[in-house]
Amino acid sequence: MSSLENEYENFKVDAQRRLLLLGGLFAGAAILIGGRLFHLQVMNGGEYRSLAEDNRISLQPIPTLRGRILDRHGRILVDNSPDFQLSVIPELTGSIQAFLKRIQPYLDIPPDRIEKIVRQAHRQRSFLPLIIQSRLTWAQVNQIESRIHTFPGASIQVQTTRSYPNGDIASHLLGYLGEVNDKDSLQFSSIPFRSGDTVGKTGMERMFELALRGKEGVREMEVNAVGRHIRELKRQPARPGPDLRLTIDVELQAEAERALSGLSGSTVCLDPNNGEVLAMVSQPSYDPNQFIRGFTSDEWKRLVTDPKRPLINKAIQGQYPPGSTFKMVVALAALKEGKIDANTRHHCGGSVTRDNHTFYCWKNGGHGQMDIVSALEQSCDVFFYKVSESLGIDTLARHANAMGLGGLTGIGLEGEKPGLMPSRAWKKATSGHAWYPGETLVTAIGQGAVLATPLQLANMVATVANGGRLYRPTFSLTTKEQPPTPMHINAFHSAHLALVRKGLIAVLHGKSGTARQFKPEKVMAAGKTGTSQVVRHKREKSGKLIKEDNERFKDHALFVAYAPVDNPRIAISVIVEHGGHGSTAAAPVAKRIMDFYFDKYGITG
Amino acid sequence: MSAASEEKNALLLGTNKLALQDRLSRFPTSLLLLLTILTLGGLFVLYSAVGGSGNGDYVWRQAARFGVGLALMFSIAMFGGEKIYRRYAYLLYAIALLLLIVVFLTGSIGMGARRWLALGFLNLQPSELMKVTMVLALARYFHDRSFSQGIGFTNLFVPLLMILLPTALIIKQPDLGTSILLVAVGMVVIVAAGLKWKVFIAVLSMIAASLPLGWNMMHEYQRRRILTLFSPEKDPLGAGYHIIQSKIAIGSGGIFGKGFMAGSQSQLNFLPERHTDFIFSVLAEEWGFVGGLLLLSIYCLIILRTLIIATMASDRFGLLTVVGLTALFGFQVLVNMGMVIGLLPVVGIPLPMISYGGSSMLTLMIAMGLMARVSIYSKQHGRTI
Repeated sequence: MSSLENEYENFKVDAQRRLLLLGGLFAGAAILIGGRLFHLQVMNGGEYRSLAEDNRISLQPIPTLRGRILDRHGRILVDNSPDFQLSVIPELTGSIQAFLKRIQPYLDIPPDRIEKIVRQAHRQRSFLPLIIQSRLTWAQVNQIESRIHTFPGASIQVQTTRSYPNGDIASHLLGYLGEVNDKDSLQFSSIPFRSGDTVGKTGMERMFELALRGKEGVREMEVNAVGRHIRELKRQPARPGPDLRLTIDVELQAEAERALSGLSGSTVCLDPNNGEVLAMVSQPSYDPNQFIRGFTSDEWKRLVTDPKRPLINKAIQGQYPPGSTFKMVVALAALKEGKIDANTRHHCGGSVTRDNHTFYCWKNGGHGQMDIVSALEQSCDVFFYKVSESLGIDTLARHANAMGLGGLTGIGLEGEKPGLMPSRAWKKATSGHAWYPGETLVTAIGQGAVLATPLQLANMVATVANGGRLYRPTFSLTTKEQPPTPMHINAFHSAHLALVRKGLIAVLHGKSGTARQFKPEKVMAAGKTGTSQVVRHKREKSGKLIKEDNERFKDHALFVAYAPVDNPRIAISVIVEHGGHGSTAAAPVAKRIMDFYFDKYGITG
Repeated sequence: MSAASEEKNALLLGTNKLALQDRLSRFPTSLLLLLTILTLGGLFVLYSAVGGSGNGDYVWRQAARFGVGLALMFSIAMFGGEKIYRRYAYLLYAIALLLLIVVFLTGSIGMGARRWLALGFLNLQPSELMKVTMVLALARYFHDRSFSQGIGFTNLFVPLLMILLPTALIIKQPDLGTSILLVAVGMVVIVAAGLKWKVFIAVLSMIAASLPLGWNMMHEYQRRRILTLFSPEKDPLGAGYHIIQSKIAIGSGGIFGKGFMAGSQSQLNFLPERHTDFIFSVLAEEWGFVGGLLLLSIYCLIILRTLIIATMASDRFGLLTVVGLTALFGFQVLVNMGMVIGLLPVVGIPLPMISYGGSSMLTLMIAMGLMARVSIYSKQHGRTI
């Protein structure tokens, strides 16, 4: 062997050792890679598989239809109406600016909206539809639809929006929809809201949100990495919300609204036999369609700052001193407690004085001899001052509570106010002072601290009408299978009830009744007028009446009633803010409602 | 070495002037077979990765390249006389270096980096040429010198220059992956040539010590890739997206895979670069752990086969050439797989023979030709494996 070959052999022996090392390096790396594959694919394969599925599958909601709202006779109060939307898929139309320029003659889009559309077009993926305009008119739909082939990528879709075929009738009651916020999603935690969803904000829309809403369907779409739909894998159809039938009578509601139109106030009509709300009015109102269309800032400012507070539902949120309407509660309480009877008489000389403080009757010079019936008929304050003294505030408060005052009725509407029925304990707790005996006198004529909502007043008079059963007012129709159960039954003696009712009938039908000019045409009705003081009359301090001409300081006029007297089918409360006396401003409203109601449905139903 | 002694040597070894017949019979058919299986399998994966028949062009073009590659491999292995590549090793290296400089100065823009040289009929990537010619030049350098006492520091000046010169040009392109590959391959050749272990460890330490410097010289996106490796979840839609989606694709393949054309990650475009750098993820998703292991095994067999060729080489040039080219092939496999399974940073190294792309495949087929050539001219001939 040559040295050359020898030298190479030596090199080769060394090189082979080194090659072994290289081979070992490769083998080690291969094992590492194999091990990693084992770890990813065999040990964690399931986890990665579900990640891949998450990637692949996109859940698309299928919109559902919200239930319509109907009145008790099936007439539509809130409907779903089609909303025609023009949208375009940018990748199919080329330049969005050019498209807008060509479509503009048919739409007349404002320049700032055009800017918004163009910006949105840059933001979103070009295969997703871009909404150009909603709420197209029929003319626009027709014009564009007939030329749609000249606008590649454009299409007109139908969505649904809420519509109110009766305009602003029952607007407070029905409420409106708005975009869901944190408070809403907290309250309806069972609803899987998505941002931009609408939800009932007030009224029936909110109260029956869960029932009306329906359930969205789901489409399982296979999507690629950029979200483009490849195919539909599975579909779970949407379940529309069922129609909701309310206790409201839309014609009665409309008439009641007309009766109060131009005024600021409220009226509530109940069926005294079950607590069903037949009508609930708060004036002035607003057009709920406005909430769907949106407001200009001027319109909104006007609504919010209007002293007549159109956005407040006064039927449940307005709290007023009940005035003399409260006297029926005092009368029933005193009879039940045995403090008075049919023969109890008090003399009214126009005022009584207690502890150097004079309490006046509304009638200068007084009513003379009064019994319970005439005191109710003529609304004698002095008679009730004297009765209340024997009754005491706490006993009175207990009876008032039992007739639905001083606490929420539990009707279910959001924002309901509880009113207030004062007592010793209440005074102690709120002011720390003891109850003055004089305050009992003021409370007995529905002034001072006592406050009630129109709904509470209607329920109060309904309790008198039905003989003592206090129902929870409701918007859900009661059925024969499930008759309504009263929240409380006042076990009034029938003779006591008869006495009070006699007084209330005399208010309308008696020769000295405070509302005798406003008795209904066709039926006998029972009622009570009331005046609630907005500011305490100055004469209490100076002994001299200062006439307040300013509208803002005029008293609120109240009237509560039920009819027919022998088989009551409607109980009504009316309040006219700054209307003056109950007999002149509120009683005509109740008369008009009753006349309409019995004209339409007859006296016997 | 005089011409006469070379002649004598060749006579002794009995390998000079082998007849065509002999050369044919000495051709390493098993290597050819493995490569063909690998590439044909790869075409199926590519077909799926590009989304099926609609993009069949990709598959045909890739197949055509393999055909060209086979012709290249065969001609390089069979023709030109035993010593032609040893003789022209420096010249070839010089040409590749020159081309790199031309790219450096004028290179056209491709993928945001200057890597290509447009030659009309093909886009030449000089860095690919450099991979092979650098191995040849280093092999030639150590072939010509005998370091019976081992290679020390002082002997490293020229070979290191041979490695670092092109590396510097490539790193500027910027192509971090190829640069690192070049250094690694060069080191393997030097070590195989007999680098003293002490020196080897010293060099490794020097490289480790210079890492912070290298970090500062890196492009922002290169740093991000490395950082992303350690916490891809931090930026799932940005730099981490590739790694996360690749891991999901591979992991979701499970043991047996989702089936041909049925990988949701691949078919629905969640997987980026799926017909080039990330094609292994497609295979692992659709053919599962079984498919992944099968591919890994084929690569291992090829590497084993070429290492055997190295041990049988008739001279130092042949041995070192084969070692270098084997390292070139093997490192590309390891780096590509390592990056798609999330063990290494994402550096643009294609998967040998499978990733779509001409330069890489042709380079590898040239390398295979050179190795087959060494096998043909090896001392112990006859069929092995």
